[in-house]
Amino acid sequence: MSHNQQPARRGGLDRRRFLTTAALGGATIVGASALGGLDADAAFAEPMPSLDPAISQSAFAEGRITAIKGSVLEVAGSYGDHHLIQMTNATSVWKLRPTTAAEIGVGDGLYARGVDMPDGTIAADAVWVNIVNLYCTVRGIAKDRLHLAHGDHNHAVVGRIVPETTTASYLGGALTPDLSRLRIGQSAQVLGAWRPEDDTVDIARVTVGH
Amino acid sequence: MACGTTSLWAGETTWFCCGGSWGPCGSTGTGACGTCQSNAHMAAWPNTSQACFDITRPDLCGESIVRRGCGSVMNVKHQCSGASVCVTVADCGPRTKSFCGESACCNGTCRTNRVIDLTPAAFSAIGNLSSGKLPVYIYE
Repeated sequence: MSHNQQPARRGGLDRRRFLTTAALGGATIVGASALGGLDADAAFAEPMPSLDPAISQSAFAEGRITAIKGSVLEVAGSYGDHHLIQMTNATSVWKLRPTTAAEIGVGDGLYARGVDMPDGTIAADAVWVNIVNLYCTVRGIAKDRLHLAHGDHNHAVVGRIVPETTTASYLGGALTPDLSRLRIGQSAQVLGAWRPEDDTVDIARVTVGH
Repeated sequence: MACGTTSLWAGETTWFCCGGSWGPCGSTGTGACGTCQSNAHMAAWPNTSQACFDITRPDLCGESIVRRGCGSVMNVKHQCSGASVCVTVADCGPRTKSFCGESACCNGTCRTNRVIDLTPAAFSAIGNLSSGKLPVYIYE
């Protein structure tokens, strides 16, 4: 690690300590400056280095939310497992964009990263709600949506173009709201948020190459 | 098998879902190796076999990626933060040829071309899922 990464790692350690304390102590935050990492982008970008040698790595959970009780998300994992995700004031939430826990609903899917707590919950550092990152082929282009084929079996996916949110990157270039260069037949990477209510995907970013 | 420290490759990593999950990921299978799960520290490598290589074609982007089969173990380290995760190869990918020249950068240094795909569990251990891509070093 170079010297200019040291502050970031210290921030990660501080964040983890804070997160654990918040989960155990009822999530009372006395001031944002205590972390310096409450900015959502910074928090999401921060990996979770080990706080303690006894903790080899961060905890991870995946599944669909079956209930929300207070600040705890009950999650049914995709492999028959179950998780209790403790949200704290230090938890960063992404759902198409950085947002708040108020946007999370029963039926949503999630990936969560955090710290295992003694009571069996995971105190979440970051929660990505309904996030998908799909390698697709563009099958159709409409004003407000892309028709996509995903996976080895070319499953149809409808990608919704969200005004003032959806961006594109062409040939590795910078993100732009201009979607006019998309073409049918292109390979595309679509990062977005699945919508359980209609099984479509709100597109945050579509990346096309050659 | 333990993760090693011998340098193998460097480039861009993305993430993918596998093993069945919610939403569009519900239709994904367990990958070319038949073992892939999104909640495990696993990866897709673009040269697990000749048939895999014929699909991904990293050579078309100038990447002469060596063959490593299903079950191979690699250590993937974020170029800047130093965070790392030990993964097992469980699928074929990414489609390197479709995104030749794409890069991921941090602190002004970039890594070019998609050379490995990580499951959400693995990717989130070293970075942010909503970034979609990260610059990494790969060891074995």
